[in-house]
Amino acid sequence: MMASNCEASVSQVRGLAVVALSGEVDGSAATVLGSAYDAAVRDEPTAVLLDFAAVDYINSTGIALIVSVLAKARSEGRRVVASGLSEHYRRIFDITRLSDFIQLYADVESAANGVIEGASA
Amino acid sequence: MSPAPDPERVVPLAEIELAVQEAEVPVVVAPRDAGHWAPNVTRLTVDADRAAVGFNVAGKRVTGPQQGFGRLWQRTYTTQLGSVVGPQRLISEWKAHFGEFWTKGNRFHGLLITPGEVAPIAVNTGAGLKLSTGVLVLYADDESFTFMTPEGHMFAGWITFSAFADAAGTAARIQVLIRPNDPIFELGWPVMKRMEDRFWMATLRNVAAHFGVLDAAVEERTVLVDKHRIWHNARNVWHNAGIRSVLHLLTAPVRAVRRRRLG
Repeated sequence: MMASNCEASVSQVRGLAVVALSGEVDGSAATVLGSAYDAAVRDEPTAVLLDFAAVDYINSTGIALIVSVLAKARSEGRRVVASGLSEHYRRIFDITRLSDFIQLYADVESAANGVIEGASA
Repeated sequence: MSPAPDPERVVPLAEIELAVQEAEVPVVVAPRDAGHWAPNVTRLTVDADRAAVGFNVAGKRVTGPQQGFGRLWQRTYTTQLGSVVGPQRLISEWKAHFGEFWTKGNRFHGLLITPGEVAPIAVNTGAGLKLSTGVLVLYADDESFTFMTPEGHMFAGWITFSAFADAAGTAARIQVLIRPNDPIFELGWPVMKRMEDRFWMATLRNVAAHFGVLDAAVEERTVLVDKHRIWHNARNVWHNAGIRSVLHLLTAPVRAVRRRRLG
């Protein structure tokens, strides 16, 4: 098995489960990302936030992993949003058309606000 | 009040470096992966030389797995090449000879496997019809490259070709993350699934044979990532490359007459 340079920590911000990713999101990040997602949904959060603020590398297999997480969340009826994407990674989300179906926020705080406002609207 | 600077004074380098550090000018460093991704495009374009084979690609948008209709599948084909080649050389050769590794009757009209390249393809459906569609090279680095499909393609999603070192030496892998693009292709999935198996397994065997590994065993693994269909994408059928390829074939005499009239 390939060693992963990706790390993930899970926390709660006003009912939102935050998966803060750091390092490199590539094919070797599958276990890290999968475990983090499973931990994040354990307490039935309003939504799951993938925070990319500390990510400095994403390749195409990494993007495929993110889609797998989104598909899993969708099949479970959960909402997933993202934050902390640099201009470069926002562009990657546009090219791959991930941004068509995942709400992007500048940071964790604005994501929490956005999700709460969305839930109460 | 500080004294006025002496314009004749030669400023030492260390002093300049310190001044730059203190200025705290943000330095924007492009991420390592920046050069590996295709530029953002709204609609695909095909150059004039390949326009005739790219009629189902020009003007189309690319489709990720969530723009398709059917169930989402991850299918992985892997073969071992042992120690005859390393991952980087394998990918370099695979890129250089990509279309040559395809099975007879299928054509890849790409020039280079570089990010942003749009390659028309012709797929042998086995029913006497060539289905014309294409791919965008979404990502390419030294150890992998990924194609993204356009509207109308059988599948919405990505196909990643990669090589990596493991305990047995070097492995070559093809991994697709796809949804059938519309209800017609979803209905045809059981047949297309078998065609995909034959096609990609033969491709991997051809890659292995290129390096002298004959009759390589190919391992296949299928995971149903999302069993739900995306019903609002059912209208993708409008772009169906199969239907459009048939229409293109039927209207060939009309285009020939028009070309003759225009001289």
